[in-house]
Amino acid sequence: MKEKLSNLFAYRELLTGLTRKEIKVKYKNSFLGFLWSMINPLMMLVVFYVAFGVIFRLRGEGVNYYAFFLMAGILPWNLLSTALISSIGSVVNNADLVKKVYFPREVLPLSYLGSAAFHFLLQELVLIVFMLAFRVPLTPWILAFPLLMLLQLVFVAGLSLLLSAVNVFFRDVMHFTEIFLLAWFWMTPIIYPVSMIQNNLPAWAVRIYMLNPMAHIILMWQRIVYNSPVNAPGNAYFSLEGFIGTVIFSICLLLLGYYAFCRWEGRFAEFI
Amino acid sequence: MMEKKEIGTREISTVPAIELEGVSKSFRLYHDVNYSLKEKVINWRKRGYETFWALRDIDLTVYRGETLSVIGPNGSGKSTMLRLMTRIMRPNQGHIKVNGSIAALLELGAGFHPDLTGRENIYLNASILGFKKAEVDEIIGEIIAFSELGPFIDNQVKNYSSGMYVRLGFSVAINVNPDILLIDEVLAVGDEAFQAKCLDRISRLQQAGKTIVLVTHNADMAASVSDRILWLEKGGIKMLGDPVEVTEAYHQAMQVQLEGSEFGTRDIVIESVELLNSRGEQALEYRTGEPMLLRLHYRAARPVEDPIFGFGFYNQMGFMVYGTNTRLRGVNIPEVKGEGTVEFRLESLNMLDGIYYLSVAAHTRDGLTNYHWLDKMYSFEMVSAGKESGYLTMDCDIIHHPGRALTSRGGT
Repeated sequence: MKEKLSNLFAYRELLTGLTRKEIKVKYKNSFLGFLWSMINPLMMLVVFYVAFGVIFRLRGEGVNYYAFFLMAGILPWNLLSTALISSIGSVVNNADLVKKVYFPREVLPLSYLGSAAFHFLLQELVLIVFMLAFRVPLTPWILAFPLLMLLQLVFVAGLSLLLSAVNVFFRDVMHFTEIFLLAWFWMTPIIYPVSMIQNNLPAWAVRIYMLNPMAHIILMWQRIVYNSPVNAPGNAYFSLEGFIGTVIFSICLLLLGYYAFCRWEGRFAEFI
Repeated sequence: MMEKKEIGTREISTVPAIELEGVSKSFRLYHDVNYSLKEKVINWRKRGYETFWALRDIDLTVYRGETLSVIGPNGSGKSTMLRLMTRIMRPNQGHIKVNGSIAALLELGAGFHPDLTGRENIYLNASILGFKKAEVDEIIGEIIAFSELGPFIDNQVKNYSSGMYVRLGFSVAINVNPDILLIDEVLAVGDEAFQAKCLDRISRLQQAGKTIVLVTHNADMAASVSDRILWLEKGGIKMLGDPVEVTEAYHQAMQVQLEGSEFGTRDIVIESVELLNSRGEQALEYRTGEPMLLRLHYRAARPVEDPIFGFGFYNQMGFMVYGTNTRLRGVNIPEVKGEGTVEFRLESLNMLDGIYYLSVAAHTRDGLTNYHWLDKMYSFEMVSAGKESGYLTMDCDIIHHPGRALTSRGGT
């Protein structure tokens, strides 16, 4: 494992190089280029805002500035879903590289994660600029941004490594993940506040609901980005044990994912 | 502990660069690959594959600074061996130890991204090969110059021709200066000038003490560049050692695989062919420089106007060494009818050692219709004194003038 890590470190320039390539290529030959990174979530925002903010009136649940609430949750969710979808196929889609050249294969999924993280940062920046423009002040919680980002990257990296390795042997993983992400999205407090779950479901169901590590990560995002004093701070639910559990779970997931990836990596070239 | 090589000034050390110890690699040949979970579950108990051993129990040491060529027929395990050396695949058994940085030319331009420019791809490709940006910065000028792409280097790679693509890939791999270079059949690409340049670069790498492992089908090319040749067959080492010896044995083993064939309209039938030596005896072995009389006996059932008779000598790789016919030599045969003989008198056979194949043919003047074509149906052997290498003998005198530099006439 130690050897693998030092090998990965030796190839760090490949990781940054591939990430940069991914960023560069994504919007190559498109007129608006990088703007798409921002237009995409903005469009999503408009749709959800009209659906839930206007039509279903979630405002009654004590959510002010629904649009910002939504953005605070949906951007990190997009980081998860785009990173997962693109990295799961990364080994299979780079078959000629994997068959012809040696390099630590984990740079493939990780470079897609890196590219997704870059777009995420851009989008968060836009969100914060918008919030300041609408005079929604930030709280000191914003300082935890890098730590939370790190936590989410650990979580997503673990999942990406594990699934991209398994996907080489069972291509079902790709299709399954696409569907699973859809369900997972609704099981995570992104477009609705978590209080809706707590108020309307029995205690045992809430307990199961809170087993979702993404729920804790998203809640944390809502707290540090969205939860300014004007937005009814009481809404920001926080469970310490849940959060610590998520941290431990994410680290274990990364270790497991990396271990599995290294374990199976030697057979990739034969299977794709 | 240095061992002197016979030809050239290079010295091969006894320090190992790549060590293979009892290396075996097997593949599962699936009858029908279960790529989805459902199929896997349904076929749970069926062992839907056979084990195929691509390499079996290989012990091999490649020494630092040597050039080793790996030859062998298709499916002998050459490419698998290279892939194991680069760590693309892992052996099922045994160990592989590599000392030094390694770059592999398994496929040129693997990993080029079509939407990036040539220059951007150089950095990307070099980093895939494990080299750092700073290292590439130093040699990027050289890489671009070697690739001969000129101003196209800042164009997107998707607009490149396949030749440009390959040139760029080769330039990157050969200029990043690895300790060990693995090359798989990639020298067959590019035009002749570029190939010559690549061979030149390989010899410069040899002079610089780099270790090179070359996989090729072309045993003669292998013999000309390498210090040792490894002949693989069915996953095992058949022979390892001196280039000339291995190449000869290899050619001998491969010769049975050239199969003759016969076709044509049979308006003229070549009924028999005679190969006669200087004493007028039928012979299948000739010394280099010896004359040969080649006789074609034909029969034409109906009269045929203006036929052309010809022959060709082919070496073991199937390349024509020499050939001519009555049209090229301006010999007119207005009509043939019934039986007859065409004689080709060869003053001197200039081919060097080896087995050669003979094709003979009768066809129309435009060559569009073959009356009778006997393709490589006959073979004979050439024997030479061993004072030269290559395909042909030439008159060559060697004079040594010690102590002064000769200048050409008209020189200064």
